Amino acid sequence: MNLVSVGISHLTAAVEIRERMWLSEEELRRAVTKIKEQFYPECMLVSTCNRTELYGIEGKVGVDAREVTEFLIEFKNAGDAVRTDHFQEWKSDEAVEHLFRVVSGIESQVVGDIQILNQVKEAFALARESHTLGPVMNRLMQTTLHVGKRTRSETGIGEGAVSVSYAAVELAGKIFADLSRKSSLLIGAGETGELTLKHLLGKGIGQVFIANRTREKAEALTRQFGGTVVDFENVADAIRNVDIVIASVNSPTYVVLPEHVHKVMKQRSNNPLLIIDIAVPRNVDPASKKIENVFLYDIDSLSGVVDRNVEERKSEIPKVESIVQEELQEFLRWVGSLEVGPAIQQFHDLLESIRHQEVEKNIHRFKPEDRELVDLVTRRILNKVLHTPATVLKQESEEGKEETMARVKALRDLFGFSDNGKDQHGA
Amino acid sequence: MEMKPLIDVLSIAMPILYALLVLAYGLVFFRDVEFASRLQRPLIVVILLVHGIYLGARTIAFQHPPITSVFEIMTLLAASIAAAYLYIEWRTTSRNTGFFILSLAFAFQVVSSVGIHDMTTIPEYLHSMVLGFHVSAALLGYTAISLSAVYGFLYLMLYHEIKSTRFGLIYNRLPNLEMLEIMSHKSEVLGFISLTVAITIGLIWLPRVFKDFSYFDPKLLGTFAIWVLYAIGLSAKRKFGWQGRKMMVLTLIAFGFVFLSMTVINLYLSRFHSFH
Repeated sequence: MNLVSVGISHLTAAVEIRERMWLSEEELRRAVTKIKEQFYPECMLVSTCNRTELYGIEGKVGVDAREVTEFLIEFKNAGDAVRTDHFQEWKSDEAVEHLFRVVSGIESQVVGDIQILNQVKEAFALARESHTLGPVMNRLMQTTLHVGKRTRSETGIGEGAVSVSYAAVELAGKIFADLSRKSSLLIGAGETGELTLKHLLGKGIGQVFIANRTREKAEALTRQFGGTVVDFENVADAIRNVDIVIASVNSPTYVVLPEHVHKVMKQRSNNPLLIIDIAVPRNVDPASKKIENVFLYDIDSLSGVVDRNVEERKSEIPKVESIVQEELQEFLRWVGSLEVGPAIQQFHDLLESIRHQEVEKNIHRFKPEDRELVDLVTRRILNKVLHTPATVLKQESEEGKEETMARVKALRDLFGFSDNGKDQHGA
Repeated sequence: MEMKPLIDVLSIAMPILYALLVLAYGLVFFRDVEFASRLQRPLIVVILLVHGIYLGARTIAFQHPPITSVFEIMTLLAASIAAAYLYIEWRTTSRNTGFFILSLAFAFQVVSSVGIHDMTTIPEYLHSMVLGFHVSAALLGYTAISLSAVYGFLYLMLYHEIKSTRFGLIYNRLPNLEMLEIMSHKSEVLGFISLTVAITIGLIWLPRVFKDFSYFDPKLLGTFAIWVLYAIGLSAKRKFGWQGRKMMVLTLIAFGFVFLSMTVINLYLSRFHSFH
């Protein structure tokens, strides 16, 4: 298997380095086209916030991965910050395995990251549009996406929120049936609060209200996210009309007290109210949690949820690795079958041409009536000699044995024929 | 009476089949067993077919539909709950409430199989068409009320997990609180309407058929009490906006009365409104 991969990721470089290697869609198109021209006849590039990786199938001439890395750094004009040793390199089976591990999310910074599957899918689509995929990469693409889907449907690797903001949104989804009919109030303008609001908007929350001590800041947020500004003094009243409250105000005392919540719950006919208090010190008196149909969570309870989810995802890694290995063997079996057949044919052609030459050269030494027999006998000897190695190689290939490819390579090296079907001695 | 052996076998087999069904749904809900997941849908369809054969065999053998005793009603109720669940599963593609709903069907079938007996001769009034409507409406009502109670129970379990921040299996597998409340409420409304129809037909028909009819019969009073309880609950929800945990607790209390009415009152206290 002549797949090569070079890449920079969160494991090898800090964000300020990685971001220099991030490629836009337009850059990706240009880069893969150039890489195809200069290095690999089949290739694709994945670029996300956590990794930029190149996958390529080597042609007749081997390529020094360092050269490819230097090309990528130069392409991004990032030589002042990025070095070649920020990159890792994988070859052959390891490169395939790495890609499968990446797409299944176990190599992600956040274990089980769901986005990586789509990002790899887009990278393949982009490479296909740029005509840099060949038969092997096409098959690799199909298998890779299949691995991504399998790991997510057959294991819990992508289950459970793994960020405080998303855990809050997941909670909302467990309380309310249709978020588009619900409204939310963001009190304050903390980063996690904004992120939570962003996730809620992503889930289609119906209405958004924003309150902040500095009204201008609230107005700036409404310009960013949409919604309506609420006076900070009227926050307690505003809660009456919303279903989700995200509190992230920098305040030494509680902004929302149980008596407020009691009053509000009566006014809102006891409709369920979700309060996400991500401020430290807390904005909402924890006694409010005891009120019926009030679901109050602070940063600790949400972090606890996240920690548990991360642990649960990690416990799924062995299952994912088992799927990766299963699919890897299947893929290598396919690659093997692709290479064994032509190798046997080339070996046969080589020996046949030698036999033919020798028979031609010496045929006049035999009586005319024996010449046909000589041809037949030498042909039979050749077939018998070839029978066992051909059968063993085919069988090993079908069984997916790892040593098959090494044997094919040894055969080619020993008898001097290349993988494009011509023996290097001109036979 | 050629069907008698078949009826006897099926009477024992039905609880076992429902137990298998509950086991299959339980294995999927608690353990995520893939084999059981593939088995669920075919199993419920087969069980409903077998149940249909069982009910049909009883109807043919005893020459009356199986609506003449509380135990016959219970097996009908089990089939009705399972059929209602199959419909819900088909419409919502969610199988995560199956274990709980089908457990109820299993419980009804067990009680039925234990207590059911053969009634070859029944009074003439039990052949009445009006009785058919009365029983059908009551059956639909009780099925809907049972479903409402199961959804209420699931709501309370999920509510407790969300409130206490102990997110486990229930949290991961069940639909959201609002959906459970909607399903419980809709079932309750359907149950209440059906019960109203059953009571109305009963009040018109019963005095004409039974000479010893009394408005103070415990079964009648019990059923009326249940109807009043549901009427109060539904009105309170409409008028005062009662919802969430409070409504679900009420639903479960009301269902407790329903179960009491169907078992204790029906079996031991009712004088005329008991047909065996």
